Amino acid sequence: MIMTHPGLPENWAWLVMAGMLVGGIWLLLASVPKSPRMRVISLASVPLLGPVVRKLAASRGVLLLLKVLTVLVFLLVIVAGLFGTPIPERNLATLLTWNLWWSGLILSVFFLGSAWCAICPWDTLAQWLVRHRLWKRVDSGSSLNLRVPRWLASVWPALFLFVALTWLELGVGITTSPYATAGIALLMVVLATASLALFQRKAFCRYFCPVGRTIGFYSQLSLLELRPIDGDTCARCTTLECYHGSDTIEPCPTWLVMGRMQQNTYCLSCGNCGQSCPQQNVAWRIRPPSVEALHSARPHWDEAWFMIGLLALTGFHGLTMMPFWETWMRKLAQVIGDSGQLLWSFSIGLVAVMAIIAALYAATIAITKAISHSRLDFKRLFSTFAFVALPLAFAYHMAHNLNHLVREGSGIGAVFANPLGIDTAPLSMMEKHARSMHMWLSQDTLFALQALLMLLGFWIAVQVIRYRGGALLEPGSRWSRLRLLPLLGFAIGITGFHLWLLMQPMIMRM
Amino acid sequence: MSAIPASCTMGQMSDGRGIMNKVLLLVFALMALVPAQAHHVLGRPAYSLNEDSNTPPSMQVETQIGQYDVTYMVFPAFPRAGERGRVNLYATRLDNGQAFAGEVRFTVRDDKWFGDKHEETLGTQLPDDHVYRQGFVFKEDGDYIITAEFEADGEPYIIDFPLRIGQPAGVGPIGVTVGVIVLILLGVNLLKRKQLARVKVRYARDELPQKAREQ
Repeated sequence: MIMTHPGLPENWAWLVMAGMLVGGIWLLLASVPKSPRMRVISLASVPLLGPVVRKLAASRGVLLLLKVLTVLVFLLVIVAGLFGTPIPERNLATLLTWNLWWSGLILSVFFLGSAWCAICPWDTLAQWLVRHRLWKRVDSGSSLNLRVPRWLASVWPALFLFVALTWLELGVGITTSPYATAGIALLMVVLATASLALFQRKAFCRYFCPVGRTIGFYSQLSLLELRPIDGDTCARCTTLECYHGSDTIEPCPTWLVMGRMQQNTYCLSCGNCGQSCPQQNVAWRIRPPSVEALHSARPHWDEAWFMIGLLALTGFHGLTMMPFWETWMRKLAQVIGDSGQLLWSFSIGLVAVMAIIAALYAATIAITKAISHSRLDFKRLFSTFAFVALPLAFAYHMAHNLNHLVREGSGIGAVFANPLGIDTAPLSMMEKHARSMHMWLSQDTLFALQALLMLLGFWIAVQVIRYRGGALLEPGSRWSRLRLLPLLGFAIGITGFHLWLLMQPMIMRM
Repeated sequence: MSAIPASCTMGQMSDGRGIMNKVLLLVFALMALVPAQAHHVLGRPAYSLNEDSNTPPSMQVETQIGQYDVTYMVFPAFPRAGERGRVNLYATRLDNGQAFAGEVRFTVRDDKWFGDKHEETLGTQLPDDHVYRQGFVFKEDGDYIITAEFEADGEPYIIDFPLRIGQPAGVGPIGVTVGVIVLILLGVNLLKRKQLARVKVRYARDELPQKAREQ
């Protein structure tokens, strides 16, 4: 028997819609400043906290300790998955991976950026296996240090793997199989090791890892960034230790130069730049979450597709957890003669949702181009306005995952006490009800946070349309801003769809 | 659940009942907010236990084929080699919910990618109160496929369900992972040695003529 969580009440939905109306009118009427006012606070300059932040940024010990801890938990997940009970709600592998880690990870990106990548156990294990050192620099270890072939040097492989992971997660249902969860975890270690053994630096993290790239794109909207303390110091620097590394510290794993860093996308928060910089000129800064999407991040064709893919897959994720999804699948299965796990029906649904979202976005860009008589080509407009999709995807992803985390995280204590679920029985209906009632936050707080997230996502999307639209399309009269209406319509349509999804009862994961 | 201690007075008991009533009311109110649905995600195994019944935990898969909705249950949920187990199957029409009443034939084969799949017939069953019950005893642990076959409206219906007997081997995936990683690292090491040897030969070739010129 499966259970469902209640959806967002109508009152909250009305509130979000009112906010959308205000945002839409504001987009059309308010004047657009040439560049957004962005205040940042360098944590290194905060009294009392500053010295601690500087010390942490330059220290290797804390990071190594955290890496060892995550590797130990990861190994426990593997053991629990392979040797523990197949009951998903009683096994640490499934509960920790899907209910806590995957749900919490997306939320953590908003506050901590790509901090997870710095302690990722897949990469840590690969590093230890290939470099044969816990942390010190090794010239090549067991790596061939090949250049990544041009056809692979983009985020297309990560997008493909993200679609594959979604298919395995929701279609095959590895979220309810501890054994398969452990299998996927081992596969990721193999892929990370193979990539590190073949290619230069951390090609897996930069091009292939679906989780890393998702974190990377979402971290464009993070409150935190790793940047130079003083830009002039970087401008005068000729040795570029951040890029080349030092005698003991590895170079930037994703080929970034700190002095030229404009966006978080490829930063793994590993701290190599901070540790190798002889001037100790690198520190964490708090900033408005919209700064990159509005103007700093540079548009690229493959990255635009990744952002549109994220938008489609997050919506699809939500859709598959609605009770009516099963009815749709049944009807489709009857039409195409599918049986068993209905994988064909599911695959068609996945491709259809992705195609619909991509087509909607492409049509929006085509209409914008047509009504604005822009001389810019379609590809340029498509890449630039894809930043509208990012806050919409991120906001819904966080709101959806918050539901999982708050309502389904309560069983984690019991599972840590018995990670393999030895001698346990499936959850009874009473226990399932008890779990769903023991929420980490009150239900009203959860609804308020979900509504706020939807508003935040829409607000940033509107801002992106204003700034990117204003900078890209040729200036005209006041009413020329009506040329941005198709993009506003796209943002309203997607937010409306996400809001509708949040209002539906959602199937409890396990 | 804790028992009421013997020293408890009548007043305390009525207070306790009042609290209990309020708690029950709250539980029912919350249960109404969290609607439960009596179905499974299609094609996925689900393990269930109902504390109100004395039946052992079962594994259940619900799917559909053609015009029929098929539910398949295995008792116990985690059968072992040498233990008696049972498969229950229900099939109802999607359009009118009418239960299938003909014969169902059950067969079993090894769930292997390669090699002999060795099919055996388990039995042919008639419905007992709309349920087809098929007993089994497996001699060895492993992955098996149970196939249920029936004919309706002149059409053959064949549907496969996975069945795991005993615990899957945990060492297998670890062995494969370690094996693949060792192979990768060995391969890379061999290539690096070759590269190094080539560099040495090239260096020696460049060095020799230079030394000869110096002499």
